[in-house]
Amino acid sequence: MQEFLTIGFLTTFLSAAVRTGMPLVCAAVGEDTSEKAGIINVGLEAVMIAGAFSGFVAAFLTNSLALGFLCGMAGGVAVSLLHAFLAVYLRQDQNVSGVALNLLVTGITSYLYLLIVNRYGMPQVETLPALPIPGLCRIPVLGEALFNRDLVTYLLYVVIAALVFFYRRTAWGMSLCAVGENPRAADTVGLPVYRIQYLAAAFNGLMAGLGGAYLILGQLGVFYENITAGRGYIALAVVVFGRRRPLGILLAALFFGAADALQFRLQALGVALPTQLFTSLPYILTVLSLLLVAKRNTDPAWLGKPYVRSRR
Amino acid sequence: MKNAKLKRTVALLLATLLLLALAACANPAETAEPGAAEDGSGETYDARVALCLLGPANDGAWSSYAYNAVMSMQEQYNIDVKYTENVKPTDMEAVFTDYASQGFDLIIGHSFSFGDAALAVAEQYPDVSFAIIDGSVSADNVASYNMKTQEQGYIIGVMAAAMTESGVVGAVPGQEGPAIIKVAEAFKLGVEAQNPEVEALTTYTGSFDDAARSREAAQAMIDEGADFIMGCANQANAGMIRACQDAGIYCTGELEQQPLAEDTVVMCTLTDVEKLVGIAVEEVLNDSFTGGVHEYGFADGVLSFTGYGALEEEIPQEVKDLVEETIQKITDGEIEVPRIEEITAD
Repeated sequence: MQEFLTIGFLTTFLSAAVRTGMPLVCAAVGEDTSEKAGIINVGLEAVMIAGAFSGFVAAFLTNSLALGFLCGMAGGVAVSLLHAFLAVYLRQDQNVSGVALNLLVTGITSYLYLLIVNRYGMPQVETLPALPIPGLCRIPVLGEALFNRDLVTYLLYVVIAALVFFYRRTAWGMSLCAVGENPRAADTVGLPVYRIQYLAAAFNGLMAGLGGAYLILGQLGVFYENITAGRGYIALAVVVFGRRRPLGILLAALFFGAADALQFRLQALGVALPTQLFTSLPYILTVLSLLLVAKRNTDPAWLGKPYVRSRR
Repeated sequence: MKNAKLKRTVALLLATLLLLALAACANPAETAEPGAAEDGSGETYDARVALCLLGPANDGAWSSYAYNAVMSMQEQYNIDVKYTENVKPTDMEAVFTDYASQGFDLIIGHSFSFGDAALAVAEQYPDVSFAIIDGSVSADNVASYNMKTQEQGYIIGVMAAAMTESGVVGAVPGQEGPAIIKVAEAFKLGVEAQNPEVEALTTYTGSFDDAARSREAAQAMIDEGADFIMGCANQANAGMIRACQDAGIYCTGELEQQPLAEDTVVMCTLTDVEKLVGIAVEEVLNDSFTGGVHEYGFADGVLSFTGYGALEEEIPQEVKDLVEETIQKITDGEIEVPRIEEITAD
C-alpha cells in the first residue's frame, strides 16, 4: 500500500487523470454554454461521435491533423445546429430531439465507417505529439501532468480562462445568460434571442466536436463504432457537478478522470476487491456527485423550454 | 403559416422514415434458400438443420460465420438448411418451437442468449437436437459448443513470461464475463508455469467499446513496469496497442489487429467459428451428438494464432520454439488448461 505515496505513482496517476478528463472538459464547457442560452443538448454523445468520425476521416484522407481537428469541429457544429434547428425553430422537445440524434448519429457513423473499412482496410492516423512547456513541465508531480501535454490541452486551458472572463466581465456573457434565464426580458431589451441560441449551440458543437476529435486524433489514432463509449452522457453530468462554472467543470472532469485512473491503478496493484466495483466506480461517483448538488439547483430558469416570441 | 407548412412537411418526412425503418426491421424474416425443397415435397434428406441468428446473416462477422458454415455443409452433405435471422430474445422460444414442430433434426442457436429458450423447447421435443454456440447450457438433447480460448490465454502467458525483462506482464480484458475471465485466468496460469517469479497483472476495463479506457488500463500497468501485455477486449484493444507502441513494449491482439502496430503486436489470436458450427452439424449427421457442454480448441483446429508478421526477426528463436512446443503439448493433451470462470486474486 505504500506504493500510493511515491512521487512516481502520483505523477503517472495525475497524468492519466488529465488525459482522461480532457475530452470531457471539451464537451462539458460547450454544453454549459448552450444550456446557459436555454438549450439542453442531450445529444452530446452524438455531437462527440460526429466530431470523432469527421475528424478521423479528414485526418486520414488528408494526412493533416490540423484539417482533422477543423473537420471534427465542423462535424460537431453540424449536429449541434441540427439540434438547435429542431429546438429553436421547430420548438420540439429538446430531450427527445437529443436522444433521437444520439441514435441517429451513432448509427450513421457506424455505417459510414464500414464503408471506409471496405475501401481502405483498417485505417489509422498519427496522434498529436506531446509538447512540453519548458520550465513549467519541471514542476514536480503537477508539471508532468499539466504542462507535458499537447496543443489541444493547452488550448483548453486558454478557453476555460476566456470563458471565466466572458461570463463574469463581458456584456455578451451577460446577454447569453439572460437568454437562458428569461428570454422574454432579453427580447424586450432588444437582444436577438434566437441568434444567441444558435451561436451558443454552434459553440457547443465546436467544443464537443473538438472533444470527440481529440479522443481520436489526440489519444487513440483509430475509429470504430461507438468509440466515444458514453462520454457525452458523463459530460452532461460534469456540467451539473461543476455547478455550471468553467473552473468547476474543469475540476469536475478531472475528478472523473482521476476516478478512472485510480481504479485502473488499484486493479493493476492487485487490490483484492471485485473488479465490477472498480469498473463501475466512475459511474457510482457520477450518481453520488449528482446527489450532492441535487438540492442546489443551478439550472437556468428557461432551460429546455422553447421561447415563442408571439405568445404571452 | 410558412412555419406550420414546414412543420407538416418535416413531420410527414419523419413519419415516412419511421415507416421505412419499421418495415426494414419488422418481424424476423424466415428465409428459405432458393432450391431447397419444402417439407413434404417428397425429397429426402439425411438431416434437416435450422439456424437461428441474433443479427443479419450478412453481418460480415459473428452471424455470417454460422451462415457460411451451414451453407458449406449443405454443399457437402445431403441436408436441408433453413435459417432465421434477427431473432429477438422474446421470439426465441417461438422460433425454436416452430422449427422443432416441423421435424427438424438439429436446431442451432448461434449465441449464448439462445440457451434458455433451447432448454425450454428441448423438453417438449426430445427427438430434436439443440446446439447452442458459445453457450453454457446442457440437457439430454441440448449441447453447448464452446471454444477453449483459455488455451490461447495460457500460451500467451507462457510467451509473456519468456519474453519479459522487467519481470512484470499484464492482461487487459474487457467486460467481466465467463468467456473473458477464463482467458485472463489462463494467462496467469501460463505465466506461473513458465516462470513463477514473473508477476502477472490483470485490469478489466468493463467495456469492449472503450478504447480510451483500454489504453489507460494498459498505461497503468506500464507505469507499474509491465513490458508485455495481452489484449482481450475486442476492438477496444486498439487503445491498449497504442499505449504499448508509445511505451515501446510488446503486446498481443485479436483477429486482424496486427496491422495497427506491426512493431508492437507480436501476434493475434484467431478463432474459427465456422468450423465450430460445422462440427455440430457433422455430429448430428454421424449420430454422435450428445448433450452437454463441449469444448473445442487447438486440437480440433478451431483455435490458432497469426504469425509474428514484421516481428519475425525480433522474436528470439527460443521463444518461438517455446510457443510451438506449448501449442503441441496442448494439442497432444499433455497440457490441459483448466477453465476458470471466477476472477482470482493476482
